[in-house]
Amino acid sequence: MLVVKPQVMPPVIHPVDLVQTLRHKRLTPAIVFLTSRRACDEAIDSFEHRNVPLPAHRSRTIAQVLDHVIRLYPSVAQHPLLPTVQRYGVAAHHAGHLPSWKIAVEELMRHGCLDAVFATTTLAAGVDFPARTVVITQSSVRKARDLTELTVSEIQQLSGRGGRRGKDLVGFVVVTPSPYIDLHVITRGLTGNPEPIHSQFVISYPMVLNLLKAHTLDHIKSILEKSFAQFQLNQQATALEEKLETVEAQLAAFGPRPCADWITQWHWFNLAQTHRRPRHAICQDAPPILARLPFLTPGRVVGLPKGRGVVLRRYRSRSQHRAMLTVLNTQERIIECPVAQVTEIYDHTLNIEPARVFPWCTPKSLQRLMREVRELPQHLQGFPLPEDTGNDSVMLPEPLTDEFPCPMCPSQPACRKDYTKAWRLRQEHQQLTKTIHAIRSQLWHRFQQHVEVLQQFGYLTATCQLTADGEWARLIRINHSLLLTELIRMDAFTGIEPALLVGVLASIAHEDDRPGIFPRRSPALASVLGQVRTVAHSLASYEDPPLLRSDVAALGELWISQPSLSWGEFVRTTTMAEGDVYRLLARTLEYVSQLHNLKATHPGLADIADQAMQLMRRDVLQELP
Amino acid sequence: MRTDDLKQLLHEQPVKRLHWLAKGRIHRHFRLGKARLIQALLALPPEQHHQILDDLSRLRPSTQRTATRHPSQGSRAHPRSETPRLATPSHPDQRESCVTVADLLEGIGVPPPQPFHPDAWQEEAITRLREGDVIVSVPTGSGKTYVAIEAARQAMAVDRTVIYTSPLKALSNTKLTEFVQLFGADRVGILTGERRHNPHAPLLIMTTEILRNLLYDAAGGEIDMRLDTLGLVILDESQYLADPERGVVWEETIILCPTQARLLLLSASIGNPEEIAEWIRHIRAVPCTLIQHHHRSVPLRAGYLHPSGKLTPLFTTRDIPRGQPHALHPETRRLFAEYERETLGSRGH
Repeated sequence: MLVVKPQVMPPVIHPVDLVQTLRHKRLTPAIVFLTSRRACDEAIDSFEHRNVPLPAHRSRTIAQVLDHVIRLYPSVAQHPLLPTVQRYGVAAHHAGHLPSWKIAVEELMRHGCLDAVFATTTLAAGVDFPARTVVITQSSVRKARDLTELTVSEIQQLSGRGGRRGKDLVGFVVVTPSPYIDLHVITRGLTGNPEPIHSQFVISYPMVLNLLKAHTLDHIKSILEKSFAQFQLNQQATALEEKLETVEAQLAAFGPRPCADWITQWHWFNLAQTHRRPRHAICQDAPPILARLPFLTPGRVVGLPKGRGVVLRRYRSRSQHRAMLTVLNTQERIIECPVAQVTEIYDHTLNIEPARVFPWCTPKSLQRLMREVRELPQHLQGFPLPEDTGNDSVMLPEPLTDEFPCPMCPSQPACRKDYTKAWRLRQEHQQLTKTIHAIRSQLWHRFQQHVEVLQQFGYLTATCQLTADGEWARLIRINHSLLLTELIRMDAFTGIEPALLVGVLASIAHEDDRPGIFPRRSPALASVLGQVRTVAHSLASYEDPPLLRSDVAALGELWISQPSLSWGEFVRTTTMAEGDVYRLLARTLEYVSQLHNLKATHPGLADIADQAMQLMRRDVLQELP
Repeated sequence: MRTDDLKQLLHEQPVKRLHWLAKGRIHRHFRLGKARLIQALLALPPEQHHQILDDLSRLRPSTQRTATRHPSQGSRAHPRSETPRLATPSHPDQRESCVTVADLLEGIGVPPPQPFHPDAWQEEAITRLREGDVIVSVPTGSGKTYVAIEAARQAMAVDRTVIYTSPLKALSNTKLTEFVQLFGADRVGILTGERRHNPHAPLLIMTTEILRNLLYDAAGGEIDMRLDTLGLVILDESQYLADPERGVVWEETIILCPTQARLLLLSASIGNPEEIAEWIRHIRAVPCTLIQHHHRSVPLRAGYLHPSGKLTPLFTTRDIPRGQPHALHPETRRLFAEYERETLGSRGH
């Protein structure tokens, strides 16, 4: 059956219509939140197509405000959207723009010159200016390639920009639908309570180095315990402990209890009967004896319960295979004694010529030995020997463990009745105990993992002191600090061109994988980046490797290698948005300045970094402090 | 009447009414969904169809009466029955309490210029800051900056250094301009990663990362900052504590913040400010006060703008019903349902 629709509704209200409607209802100025930067720019473009200019006097006030801004930030004057803003009183404000442009838009909004600003939802916190009306068109936002629903706090952050204090009696949130909008998400966001904050504490290498520089391990443990992360974990742990207590209370009924079952009692009696030490089995040496054996070589002077003697031979007894000694004692008698009776082993040996038969040495050496034994010095240095603990009780399995039902009990079926419940409780108990332990020691454990890695790489000594490398490495406080410090230690940057350095740092700093067109990179940069990539790959198990995009690196290189290039020309070499390029360079500049801080230990590198900073700071990058 | 027409008519009925129609006609009708119900009703012998139509038409007059009372209600709206057993219990008296667009748009305008009077919570925050830390969690745009400025002014009056941190460099720049106008260019400095502008000024603006690094350096012994004269640390936008990448910096800053310095945390509305206050009380020696409210200084209303250009209130009440049970304005609900149907339908073609 063919359904003829009278009229297909436009999926989204046209931006020009939107602004006209808002003007008509006296709802301007407004901030319109759109999903993408492109949507914002297209909205502005559509005003050009419709061509509905502002009255002349308003264009004039806009121009006046803009003139004022341009005096502070000259780069605004070259902005391609400038005429549109002046003519139509609308502007786009998103991360793809230069900060100076955003300041200009904010200034215009503060003076109330604009009717609408089209902004992206992604940077709600960056939109720090109010308007009478906030227009929400989407219920989800693009985060790292996925569409996620706006959270309550995000929606309240957006809607909070509605209503200017002192300039408006009321503020408005206007929801206008677009495909895939979920009205429920928005109403929930407007009326609901914002989400609670969860700690995002992570331990990083620079954090470990800097903490160890100033504090002892115990102190650091207490610092970590002070973190909000641990605070929240402790709350979790307390809740779990309460649960554990109830489980324990339930488990008490199944806990250790005397077993009244006669079969069991008979069984254990039987076991005890049969579990006698076997008479003729080969005797296992106890640990103290095992420890003595290697020292008891022929010629060794030993202490016995009665006097001292020299070992003539070592053998095993026939019956029990015990370790035995033949000793020549101070009374010049040759005696047999078990190793267990040796009280002292001295750090003193006598020369001996062993023989295969009694008296186990040649008669000549026996004569000499007898003399030497008599003339042994009064005081001899002994070896420390492990004590015999005398713990030689019969090893019987405990009949009543807290396992229930007893795993070997023959009358198990009798106890089976509540086995399932007990087993489940026992599992739960074990799980809870483990979880609580993990929660309590989580942060400290992760800290220790990081310490171990740093020790392995030689930034920390075994006693957790900073090594010479650690002392300077702690000044590198960036996301991929281990990669950078390792590169510095490998002398990867010695005598490097400033342009290459900036290129490499730009590729480390950039964390976006959006494709685009970029300038060509030099072969030198490609080879350096190849090495950096190898190092990053080898460090992958200790630190997430950065993207290390060579095309982005080329952008950083170009800005340094051609100092005469103006910002406008520079931005035209790439499809990356102006604001992104700015942020990339600003971030790279921060990385370079961290290398500059290593003046004391790496003067050569600091010099290169200094040159790079001089070259980087020009044009737009100089405008803002 | 043809079967197609009846089918169409039945489709327009709410499923509740279909059950009511099916009662006594279809065995175990309560097990069926809407589509199966209609199928079953249509499968009945034709003489039953007439009875069904009769039953339906008996309900109709009441619907039309409602429609005439509210001309804005479109003809396609669900005929709402006045019979008690079919009335939806969730929104009784809804029609009577609904606001109109005129109500919604009433009172737009610029307030007459008034001398500035700080709100009670602002004054409280400033006085509480004398004896301890303060957390302010209020809706966006209610004047957190005023608290920051007054607190900074007080601390500077007794020769204490003030550090103001913001999450973004762009915000730092805005604040720099604002503070320079208030306190004079020589009393405000800004520190960024690679540049220091007027670093010996009593009021320093920086991003939170820079402050964290300063605290590291101070603990490590190479002090180049007057941390002993530090009297106040203002952390703006401290809801960044929940930021997956940067939240840790806020936490470190709060932990490592020297004891003699007061902390002033300014944040937008968050879900668990008590928990954060509890945490700060737990780790710092001085008392910590939480100042929190949901009141907006400029009231906020919500509207729904249909792509056709028609504006309707979003909720049945004029102001946004915060933290209360809420219902969409019936007109908005109708328009949105229509919109969804059409966009979803056109997507299939």
